[in-house]
Amino acid sequence: MASEAKTTTAKRSESDRRQRRGMLAALINRPEIGATVGLLLLLIFLGVVAGNVVYNPLGIKNNLSIISQLGIIATGAALLMIAGEFDLSIGSMIGFAGMSMAMMLKWGLPFGLGEATPFAAFTITLCMTLAIGCLIGNIVVRSGLSSFIVTLAFLFILRGLTEVCFRTFNEGSTQISGLPDFKESDWFAYLFGGETFQWLFDFLYWIGWNVNRLGNQWVTGLDARFAWWLAISVAAYIVLSRSQLGNWIYATGGNREAALANGVPTRKVKIGLFMFTAFCATVFAACQVFDTNTADAAKGNLKELEAIAAAVVGGAILTGGFGTVIGVVLGALIFGLVQNAVFYIPWIDGSYYRVFLGTVLLIAAFSNENIRKRVTGGL
Amino acid sequence: MSAATRPVIRIENLVKRFGGFTALNGVSLDVYPGEVHALLGDNGAGKSTLIKTLAGVFPPTEGTISVDEKAVNFRSPRDASDAGIGTVYQDLALNGLASVTRNFFMGRELFVGPPIFGLMRMAEMDRITREEMLKLGIDISDPSQAVGTMSGGQRQTLAIARAIHFGAKVLILDEPTSALGQKQQMEVLKTIKRVRDLGHIAIILITHNEVHAELIADRFTFLSLGEVIGAGTNADLDSADMRRLMAGGAELAHLSEELATTS
Repeated sequence: MASEAKTTTAKRSESDRRQRRGMLAALINRPEIGATVGLLLLLIFLGVVAGNVVYNPLGIKNNLSIISQLGIIATGAALLMIAGEFDLSIGSMIGFAGMSMAMMLKWGLPFGLGEATPFAAFTITLCMTLAIGCLIGNIVVRSGLSSFIVTLAFLFILRGLTEVCFRTFNEGSTQISGLPDFKESDWFAYLFGGETFQWLFDFLYWIGWNVNRLGNQWVTGLDARFAWWLAISVAAYIVLSRSQLGNWIYATGGNREAALANGVPTRKVKIGLFMFTAFCATVFAACQVFDTNTADAAKGNLKELEAIAAAVVGGAILTGGFGTVIGVVLGALIFGLVQNAVFYIPWIDGSYYRVFLGTVLLIAAFSNENIRKRVTGGL
Repeated sequence: MSAATRPVIRIENLVKRFGGFTALNGVSLDVYPGEVHALLGDNGAGKSTLIKTLAGVFPPTEGTISVDEKAVNFRSPRDASDAGIGTVYQDLALNGLASVTRNFFMGRELFVGPPIFGLMRMAEMDRITREEMLKLGIDISDPSQAVGTMSGGQRQTLAIARAIHFGAKVLILDEPTSALGQKQQMEVLKTIKRVRDLGHIAIILITHNEVHAELIADRFTFLSLGEVIGAGTNADLDSADMRRLMAGGAELAHLSEELATTS
């Protein structure tokens, strides 16, 4: 009798009602599906209306530059969102880090410690931004205040401090320009401001596609920030999807109480991720400073919101526990392409970029909620 | 029913006071491996305080808890779980958005390489999760499915299987059948029976429902106002005793008279 009952349950258990889903159904439940379809449609649309300017070596370089820039900070924002927190201070952190590096490069190290090499300027700045990230994280986990409010406070504080520092040291100006072109002479500056993937463009020249009107090689390589985006994305993917820490990040955002009860150090996870967004913002700033040899107190303005929007397109939900790095890559591709596309297409007003951003954000948020409900069975 | 002679947990004269309030007033009970020990009582009887003391959440004011005949002094829930006391609370400590395997190993992942950044041994973890669930009669064909897609009974089983896999000798189940549908309640009871049949695990079952307790438990302890008002094995007690003790010792007959007069 008992064994009979067992066999019938084994034949038809509750879980069996779920298992017979095909490849297609499994694909639809992936959080990235919406973004993939959106990206494909966008690529086709751009090919039709502006194919000659988008799909050429210079178009690719320019697009990837914008995309990488957004992708770097979106990765930080997404990991933090998956852990259930939120960082509005990213944009101000970019301005702060850029100011810090440019001032050191222009006037030397603080306390009269002599000339600043790009390496020293970057390292000291990174220590400061990581410390601020750590402070923000500690305030959030210790106070129990919403990270929205805490990081909003730091959005104002950091932007204000950046402007004050500029005006104090720079005779009232909030810009620094005309720094020496460090990337020509210094390998460390070249890491951020130089070029990468030259071999690819050499190859494209060799096969005869990458040729300008004079018959010479046209584009020499991609901006270094592309390599940073690639490295950060690959690292974030491995950590989030494959490592122990990745499971802690999902657990922290999915159900904090449960994570705590199972011994996950949720506070450390969150503080670490606040520091990671600060790191991403610093890399963003370093790429800008060493590429253009300028800094501006307004740099990074509103970037935090674009980063969060890209993360949402990547499947991240505000309550945490959901989202993937591949999704964020797709989100950055979509927003970067559109941001650039409005310049290619003369009959579109550039501000339509924001209209598009808002619309896509809304669609993505709806679709994420839908997928979340499907995954959790309406929980 | 295995007739183990040595209790895995012995509680003697446990007293717990919160300021001037006495939540437990000299409770004693023994829990044996391979048995289900039902802890029954009305709201406020002291069941929750008792299990939280056992689970290391509260230190006892007086009295002793012994595990395997050695007196223990839990300072934190971690101490209790290290001593082999696994508590499955009502919320189950699961993350509905993550997969079964990720939940099973939450906080205790198997990995290669350095801690924290080490890579998870996913295939091995999937296999273990499946095997451990299968031992309790749940066949999850896809350990990568989200926990949110599982039924309440299956989630309960997942939490129980996890506690056992990570070394629980004593399993404390806090109202495992409440907030479930009729069919899933039966599923959970079956799971509890399978755990008991493993033979080496003692189960403390906290419940409101004396029907469930009668179906599954080997031994009973009834609490009322922080004291033990009745205890015994399944053979010692009949249904009438149980209902009487369940109602905190008040005769149901009195209640029915009262109800008759008020109408």
